[in-house]
Amino acid sequence: MSEEYLLQMSGIHKSFSGVHALDDVNFAVRPGKVMCLAGENGCGKSTLVKIISGVYTRDAGTVTFEGKEITKITPAEATRLGIQVIYQDLSIFPNLTVRENLAINSEITAGVKLVNRKRWDATAKEALSKIGCQIDLDAKMGELSIADKQLVAICRALLFNAKLIIMDEPTTALTKKEVDALFTTVRQLRDSGIAIMFISHKTEEIFEISDDVCIMRNGKNVYSGKTADLTKKDFIYYLTGRELEDDHFIPTNISEEPVLQVKNMEMKGKLHDVSFELRKGEILGITGLLGSGRTELALALFGLAKPSGGEIILNGKSVKIPSPIAAQKLRIGYVPEDRLTEGLCLQQPIADNIALASLKRLSSGLGLLKKSSIAKEAAIWVDKFSIATDDPRKFASTLSGGNQQKIVLSKWLSNDLDVLILNGPTVGVDVGAKQDIHALVHELANEGLAVMIISDDLAEVVVNCSRVIVMKEGSIVGEMTGDAITEDNILEIIR
Amino acid sequence: MNKAAIKRMTRRTEFYIFLVLLLLIAVVGVISDGALIRPNSSFTILRAMVVDGMFALCSLVVMISGGFDLSFPAVSALSYSLATTICLNNGWCQTSPLAAFALAVVFGWCLGMFNGWIISNFKLNTMIVTLGTQTFFTGLSMGLLQLKEITSTLPQGLKDFGSSTLLKVTDTLVGGRQVTVPLTSMIIFLIILVIITSFVLNRTMFGRALYAIGGNEVSAERAGYNVKRTKFLLYSVVGAVAGFTGMLRVCMASQSIPKALVNKEMTIIPAVILGGASIFGGEGSVFGTMCAVGIITVVSNSMLLMGIDTYWQDFFNGLVILIGVTVSALQAMRRKN
Repeated sequence: MSEEYLLQMSGIHKSFSGVHALDDVNFAVRPGKVMCLAGENGCGKSTLVKIISGVYTRDAGTVTFEGKEITKITPAEATRLGIQVIYQDLSIFPNLTVRENLAINSEITAGVKLVNRKRWDATAKEALSKIGCQIDLDAKMGELSIADKQLVAICRALLFNAKLIIMDEPTTALTKKEVDALFTTVRQLRDSGIAIMFISHKTEEIFEISDDVCIMRNGKNVYSGKTADLTKKDFIYYLTGRELEDDHFIPTNISEEPVLQVKNMEMKGKLHDVSFELRKGEILGITGLLGSGRTELALALFGLAKPSGGEIILNGKSVKIPSPIAAQKLRIGYVPEDRLTEGLCLQQPIADNIALASLKRLSSGLGLLKKSSIAKEAAIWVDKFSIATDDPRKFASTLSGGNQQKIVLSKWLSNDLDVLILNGPTVGVDVGAKQDIHALVHELANEGLAVMIISDDLAEVVVNCSRVIVMKEGSIVGEMTGDAITEDNILEIIR
Repeated sequence: MNKAAIKRMTRRTEFYIFLVLLLLIAVVGVISDGALIRPNSSFTILRAMVVDGMFALCSLVVMISGGFDLSFPAVSALSYSLATTICLNNGWCQTSPLAAFALAVVFGWCLGMFNGWIISNFKLNTMIVTLGTQTFFTGLSMGLLQLKEITSTLPQGLKDFGSSTLLKVTDTLVGGRQVTVPLTSMIIFLIILVIITSFVLNRTMFGRALYAIGGNEVSAERAGYNVKRTKFLLYSVVGAVAGFTGMLRVCMASQSIPKALVNKEMTIIPAVILGGASIFGGEGSVFGTMCAVGIITVVSNSMLLMGIDTYWQDFFNGLVILIGVTVSALQAMRRKN
């Protein structure tokens, strides 16, 4: 039995000041296989990884590596055993050369005091040869693409005769193409006998790459076994603890008159002759590949980009939108793609974030802020969106991605809006929160809001939109409504 | 040298700073009819570079590690004032300056350890910590210890050491007057510190640790560096060097004035930034720093020669801060993209 597994963990417990982070977790990793550790944010994945890598000490449970029971794991011991963790931030030094990044860990481990450039060079070349990749050793690490940085991090891990490589959410910042390249490397490692523990919450990826899967929820592992024995529906059930249905949006309340009309919009090199209408109560999807002009269109409607021609008509009146302030006055709201850098002040209280776009309404006649109104406003939205916090005075950074996205939404919705533009509303949000956000947007539309969803996540577009516009190279190349909206139909036009 | 190497070189700030220095020397050289490069002028500039250059190196290593040290002038001033006072009261250093230097280094080391202890243990912003210790050290020197200015009574051994010369050259001034110009032997200490700093930064794992910590502190910790110990050692050594440099200054100026270095950091740090050190840490070199110190010294020296008001020097220093910080920020932005 024990021969079959590289790493076996059973009955693992860990608590922090009385709170159970891990509660009787059992799982095993087979050599030469890819094991996915899946779970929503805060389910205990990172705690588990830190126990394996020796950063934390377990309270109870047994760990067996290569058939031998390991009583105490320290970071040095983990390295000696052949366990390597590639963290999400890759633990690289952007200011140093690729050569130094590759060599530095082994030099420190060897306890060397002086720099030996020849040995560095040899180490670095050896590292790159492990997976046969070509990267300029003299280049500064910070100048590489994320995919190349990841390759360097993998090569560096391989220098330590790694038998188990743990990758913490490696695909988060990658494009689809880069993910494919990464998977090729992962398979290459797997075939050379290395066990990979792949941490992710993306359903598609897990089914594509993994042999085994361990699903965690609230500090317990609720499933562990072969990926092939699992359907996607089961997977999502285990992950979220809920039966999640693909609730298609059914519009019940579409207005006769369009609230927004865009006529022949032009933007140099970005948009060409774009015209469409948007009615209250509908959810209009705008999709297309990267560079198709979908984001530029959204930015133009929110005053963040200047169209060079065309007309925007709002409620029957021709308007100009030179700035986001003007857009807000016209009752247009925009939720940006990158909520962390564009939509939220992470180191500010949740309540203040929610109130940010409606400060004028929440202040007294003299322009002074009323703290009580802000608190009241925040309480309404925390309740309405079931934002998972016990105190809105806590910083926004304390929340998970899905809940942060809910804050950004409430920020805009707390002002009465006519048009809400959502750009990639669920990028980086886990499955359960995604469902919540979708349901919320459906409700808002049926209450009479006009919603535009800009996304390249076709599944999302199909489920949520009552009408879809497909863009390509700055122009509208297709439009579909109702049952005609399917991934296949959209893909046909995009290509 | 291949194409890639040349391209990399031209992307470095040091390359441009070096060009600017050469250009400056050429321009001022032509304006002054060649006087700048004659020993009479150039020896003065080299002399002025000793203390500023050594302080700049202190500032550089801290900045590479991602920190800011505002307290090194205060550390230096307290160390030399205390050391000279003790020597004076005991009648030491009548022939050899050794005791005064030993004391200054020990005091500087202790004050540096104090900085290092706070910074490495409490993970506080280094600028805030050293702003606090700067004021604290200055207060200690003026208030508690009541250290006084020592001018004509300065021990003879220190005076002699400070006025010792490496070589003497006869220079013919405009108009034909002949003068003997000395080159101070203190320049040796700058040269030694330049060599040691270069060696430590480029050839030792301690030096690479400073770059690594400045680049990404969390990664440095994960890679196995003892970040806490490295920082503690760094600030201690910087304190000791600051103490030594201060004592050099006392010898060269033949006086010990506790307030002489107030606001010195405001001219040194901009020079280091101008020389290519990043305000975000992880970047910087000895060569760039020395070029920048050269530029600043040449400019202020030329201004003095041309009789330009000293207020213009503030103007120039401010300009250097702005240029240096902008270049630093632009580089960081480029790396991000």
